[in-house]
Amino acid sequence: MNTNKLLFISSIIIIGGYSVYSFLGEGNKVNYSTEVKPILNKHCIACHGGVKKQGGFSLLFREEALGKTESGKPAIIPGDAKHSEFIIRLTHKDPEERMPLKKEPLKKEEIEILTKWVNEGANWGEHWAFVKPEMPKVPNKGFFAGLLSWFSSKWEKNDIDYFVKNKLDEEGLSPSKQAEKSILLRRVCLDLTGLPPTEKQIQDFLKDDADNAYEKVVDSLLASPQYGERWAGMWLDMARYSDTKGYEKDEGRNIWQYRDYVIKAFNKDLPYNQFIKEQLAGDLLKNPTEEQYIATAFHRNTVNNDEGGTDDEEFRNATMVDRVNTTWEVFQSTTFACVQCHSHPYDPIRHEDYYKSMAFFYNTRDEDIPDDSPYLRQFTKPEDKAKLTDLQHWIKNNVGSAKEQEISHYLTFLEPKIHPHSGDQFINGALADTKYLGIRNGGSVRFKSLPLTGKRQLLVAYGNKTGSPTLMEIRLGSLTGKVLTTIKLDTTRKGGWTNSWDYQLYDLPKMDGRQDWYLTFKNAKVKPDQSTCIIGSFTLLPEFPGRGRADYAEKKKEFLALVSANTENTPVMLDSPKEYARQTHVWERGNWLAKTKVVQPDIPASLGKLPQNAPKNRLGLALWLGSKENPLTARVAVNRFWEQVFGTGLVETLEDFGTQGFTPTNAALLDFLAVKFMDEYQWKPKKLLKEIVMSATYQQDSKANQDLLAKDPMNRLLARGPRVRLSAEQIRDQALLVSGLLSKKMYGKSVMPYQPEGIWNTPYSSMAWKTSENEDQHRRALYTYWRRSTPYPSMITFDGANRDICLARRIRTNTPLQALVTLNDPVYLECAKHLAKKMDKVGGTLDEQISSTYQFTMCKTISEKKLAVLKRLYSTTFQTYQKNRAEAEKLLNICPDDNIKPKNIPDLAAKTLVASTLLNLDEFIMKE
Amino acid sequence: MKNLQQELLFEKLRYETRRHFLKQCTTGLGMMAMGSLLQSCGSTQQNTSVSNPLSPKMPHFAGKAKSVIYLHMAGAPSQLELFDYKPDLMKLDGQSCPPSFLEGKKFAFIRGVPQMMGPQAQFQQVGKSGAWMSDKMPHLQSVADDISFIKAMYTDQFNHAPAQLLLHTGSARLGRPSTGTWATYGLGSENQNLPGYMVLTSGGKNPDGGKALWGSGFLPSVYQGVQCRNQGEPVLYISDPTGINRDIRKSTIDAITEINKESYEEFHDPETLARISQYEMAFRMQTTVPEVMDITKEPAYIHEMYGTQLGKESFANNCLLARKLVEQGVRFVQLFDWGWDSHGGGSEDTDVANGLTKKCSTVDKAITALIQDLKQRGLLDETLIVWGAEFGRTPMAENREGKAAAFKGRDHHTEAFTVWMAGGGIKGGYSHGETDPVGYVGIKDRTSVFDLQATIMHCLGFNHEEFTYPFQGRNFRLTDTSGKVIQSVLS
Repeated sequence: MNTNKLLFISSIIIIGGYSVYSFLGEGNKVNYSTEVKPILNKHCIACHGGVKKQGGFSLLFREEALGKTESGKPAIIPGDAKHSEFIIRLTHKDPEERMPLKKEPLKKEEIEILTKWVNEGANWGEHWAFVKPEMPKVPNKGFFAGLLSWFSSKWEKNDIDYFVKNKLDEEGLSPSKQAEKSILLRRVCLDLTGLPPTEKQIQDFLKDDADNAYEKVVDSLLASPQYGERWAGMWLDMARYSDTKGYEKDEGRNIWQYRDYVIKAFNKDLPYNQFIKEQLAGDLLKNPTEEQYIATAFHRNTVNNDEGGTDDEEFRNATMVDRVNTTWEVFQSTTFACVQCHSHPYDPIRHEDYYKSMAFFYNTRDEDIPDDSPYLRQFTKPEDKAKLTDLQHWIKNNVGSAKEQEISHYLTFLEPKIHPHSGDQFINGALADTKYLGIRNGGSVRFKSLPLTGKRQLLVAYGNKTGSPTLMEIRLGSLTGKVLTTIKLDTTRKGGWTNSWDYQLYDLPKMDGRQDWYLTFKNAKVKPDQSTCIIGSFTLLPEFPGRGRADYAEKKKEFLALVSANTENTPVMLDSPKEYARQTHVWERGNWLAKTKVVQPDIPASLGKLPQNAPKNRLGLALWLGSKENPLTARVAVNRFWEQVFGTGLVETLEDFGTQGFTPTNAALLDFLAVKFMDEYQWKPKKLLKEIVMSATYQQDSKANQDLLAKDPMNRLLARGPRVRLSAEQIRDQALLVSGLLSKKMYGKSVMPYQPEGIWNTPYSSMAWKTSENEDQHRRALYTYWRRSTPYPSMITFDGANRDICLARRIRTNTPLQALVTLNDPVYLECAKHLAKKMDKVGGTLDEQISSTYQFTMCKTISEKKLAVLKRLYSTTFQTYQKNRAEAEKLLNICPDDNIKPKNIPDLAAKTLVASTLLNLDEFIMKE
Repeated sequence: MKNLQQELLFEKLRYETRRHFLKQCTTGLGMMAMGSLLQSCGSTQQNTSVSNPLSPKMPHFAGKAKSVIYLHMAGAPSQLELFDYKPDLMKLDGQSCPPSFLEGKKFAFIRGVPQMMGPQAQFQQVGKSGAWMSDKMPHLQSVADDISFIKAMYTDQFNHAPAQLLLHTGSARLGRPSTGTWATYGLGSENQNLPGYMVLTSGGKNPDGGKALWGSGFLPSVYQGVQCRNQGEPVLYISDPTGINRDIRKSTIDAITEINKESYEEFHDPETLARISQYEMAFRMQTTVPEVMDITKEPAYIHEMYGTQLGKESFANNCLLARKLVEQGVRFVQLFDWGWDSHGGGSEDTDVANGLTKKCSTVDKAITALIQDLKQRGLLDETLIVWGAEFGRTPMAENREGKAAAFKGRDHHTEAFTVWMAGGGIKGGYSHGETDPVGYVGIKDRTSVFDLQATIMHCLGFNHEEFTYPFQGRNFRLTDTSGKVIQSVLS
């Protein structure tokens, strides 16, 4: 026996000995997270948790559990199970006393665990996900394992594989061999770019015999612009991105630039923590770029309610709730929705924590306004751009750059606006359509406690179509108070309704502090029941700078022109200046009208602390989320990427990493990837994805067999490659690509591909589906106009999200309505016809044509049997169409085409059906 | 009958398997949901729920109703002109509304002090039960003894969209599953050749609440309502494209199936088997749906009974369709009619006098026929019919922006409205709840929309408090955190 073999054997003894030791070691002490907490969650916490605290006893936090109960005594005495009521009650003879009340008693083993736990001091362990991940040791990768590879050729390609193999060994499974080259190519193309390979990609790859042929493909896919489009698709469900506002009329929202931002962020491999920072707090960064402002539209994707009669404040508060829930769900997979009404029933998050989180968001300017204020204004017309540059220069040169920045900022956002809904004490007037100020002749309204220090101008957005000017008198303190000023609202060009305002600037005398304004409107020409004008908003501004300069009046006019200019407006996040700041309260039982204690922005103590020096605002929150101290962020992100590739996350419940979520199938692997993502990859998704797709685990064949199905039906352990149904977007994009129709055009306003008549029948809405022209009909699915009330039908049928609220995970279903889409939707028939034409172009025999078409649509060689089936289909249908050419013509009329020779019609129609069959095959709808 | 025993046994077995599956797959409370929902746990056996999420399932207990027809009058008809008889209100007609009705209240359009308005209809007692009904629904009077009226309904949303959302999804915000979604999620469907949950809108116009009223919210989209179309094909993509006849379609599906079987042999993916059966089901659905949606073959007396208008889009046609659908085993059918928003502004069509009479005449006969027709087919006992709207209307006349309306209108009202139920699980000739003498607010047995939902769930065999689905860390249920079954209306 040589030394190496000796070493090997002794190592086995050592390892064996160690495992016995560690088994005993762990067996000695009860593990809170894995042994105790599940019992408490299952049997106790419904009555003794964050919601109910029966008998004054709660098991959520240790200090509560050890505290006095209603009986005056504590229920748990650490170290003394015998005298702990908590344990005594589990076996109490009196059924009225025994816990759990009116339910089956706990199992003997469960009682033993709890007893032991109390005797050991009743220590609360931390839930795995709330503890910072540490870099685990890669299993079996050391010296000795190297020796093992003597006996077999090594399967592992990178570290991921050691973790996976380790699990497989434990379960007595072995990994599958590598998938066929072309199948692997299709898989990796779909995973990284959302599209199958083109014919050229297939040919090139099959020809390339280099060792790194696969890696070269991976690199080129990661570098392709389609990569960003594919991953944006995942993100937009979570961001609940949509082109409309949601409720009732469900009118349009101009927010497509956010979608483009997400695509670009993925394409430039923006570090994930920077991605978080820009979306949550781009506006709070130093000198934010336009793109960083647009990133904040992430949280402007909330639904708006424009229905007449709705309370804007109610829906603003609903938005706040949504932002809190979404933030925690997207970045932390922590279920926060329940904490709105009470402390978390299972996880250590207190009721108050919800409102501390809400306080990060509570101060933004948006107030459920139909025009989606506040928005970023982009000047698109050259003359406006020139005007802006000129004005900026003038202020910089004559007043200073601080003032210039202030004015530029104002012109970019037109904030802070005072909206009519903050008015009250209406006399002979009301909020028109519960939105705009409509006061009749002699009527009045109050605006309470306006901050007036330093305000010397009033900007009014209004419409006056009465034919005569309206006078608006401003009085201080009361209806009979001192007249501050009277302004004249001349007739206007625009009518004064959503986004249709004229703007006027009025000088104000010097004022101080806060005052109530009473506005009285006079216009003797209007009828008694007619409004004197319609007002959209007011803005209080400091004096326009540069008074005394010769061209002052002219520049002020220029300023007003820029205020009135038509711009590209994208809703963004913008905080209120201090003087308009709101306070956040705890809402009793989650009711926004029942405000109690005031809270400041903070994160739940149980999850960590804001970094030192971090501001207590959204930026601070983003910094904490993106810091390495955060135990969840990297794990959650890595898990999402993993799920997109393998079909199931390492933690299956993508949306819940709390104690109610699933435990990871491979915790060490999750931590390994999370730590690597943060440290080595610097939060860059491309590197992470490359590691994943370069693993042997990923490259395995996806065939199952009876043994694998018996031991691991869901493929959680990954002894085979992923076989998963494609997403709604991928199914459409794939059909367009293989048929040669797909447009590669990127970015821009959402498009309207073919949609059947009568889908958009939303009440009171004038919006219409206008089919896009030319290549815009065949853009990738993520550019399709997304209307919340009536999303694009085929997308929803294939489990696309409604986008009303954040959706962390699409559940894949398999239904007959899906079959009807790919069989009968004209989009898919059009694809089939084009695919048939491609088939025709292949030339050669029918066998060759079908085989070749199959080859480039499925990325594999057709079997004899499948070929026979398709040939039979061709000949049956060809005969039918030859007998009945009119029918064939009707089929081909799905899209106009003058180039088909009449004699070829039956042939092409039959081929269209063969092509349609290909587009409906399981192997086409699935990633293999 | 010979198969009934077997069927029950099978159902029980399936139920047990499911319970086993729930228990074994959980790591905690209600953890069955989401990812594992449609797949089996630790078993290679193909049970029906793996391949078909809509296969029939057992509820908590045997419910009396097998299916539901929900008739929603979007816009909200006035209970004061239909079912809630208030002679005292007539005496106050034209007088200023007492301040106590207005203090701290918010109305959608009423401003300042409006005037009270007496009922704009004649009432009489009908049937053995002596129910008070108005002359606006003369036909319905004949089936009064089949109906339970719930007269002290209330809600907390005074705008259409949020109130409709609350009524149908248990939340005034977007994002929750609708009642029909819960029902099909919990019960599956009896007929796999038709969608389990179907929605019919009069004239193709969606209600204010939009598709969310039959949306699946956070439940899988397979459980959302399928909206029948008023133009073109009855269900989107159900018809073969022109140029493809049934034989050709059959050939293509056969080819797809054959090749998919090959794939299954190769990959052994249960998903492939599921796909094979879904394609076969799609093929059958293509025949079944147009057949069931075609009312022309119904006998003349049926058309006469419902007052259908062939070739046109009408609520009456939809009522007949609803009967055909439940007859075929569709679990949940939702009908939306519109034009019930009687503000009285603008035109006489929207007033509570002549306008409402006219509007009622478009539904009265059909709704009555629906009840009678189900009854004569022996289906009424197992079909729950719910009639109602998102809220009621004020006893005060509307005075939009402070001025009296040109026509007699009433504003949205949350404090009192009438809903009625009939059929599966419901007592006939009964009235539950009472409003004050002017019909402003419920004074006895007030019933919330959650109570109504709880009752619907009960009729279907569910304990609404235990019928939950975990989402965002909460076990969500249709009735949110409240709701009590209205015991007295149960048969």
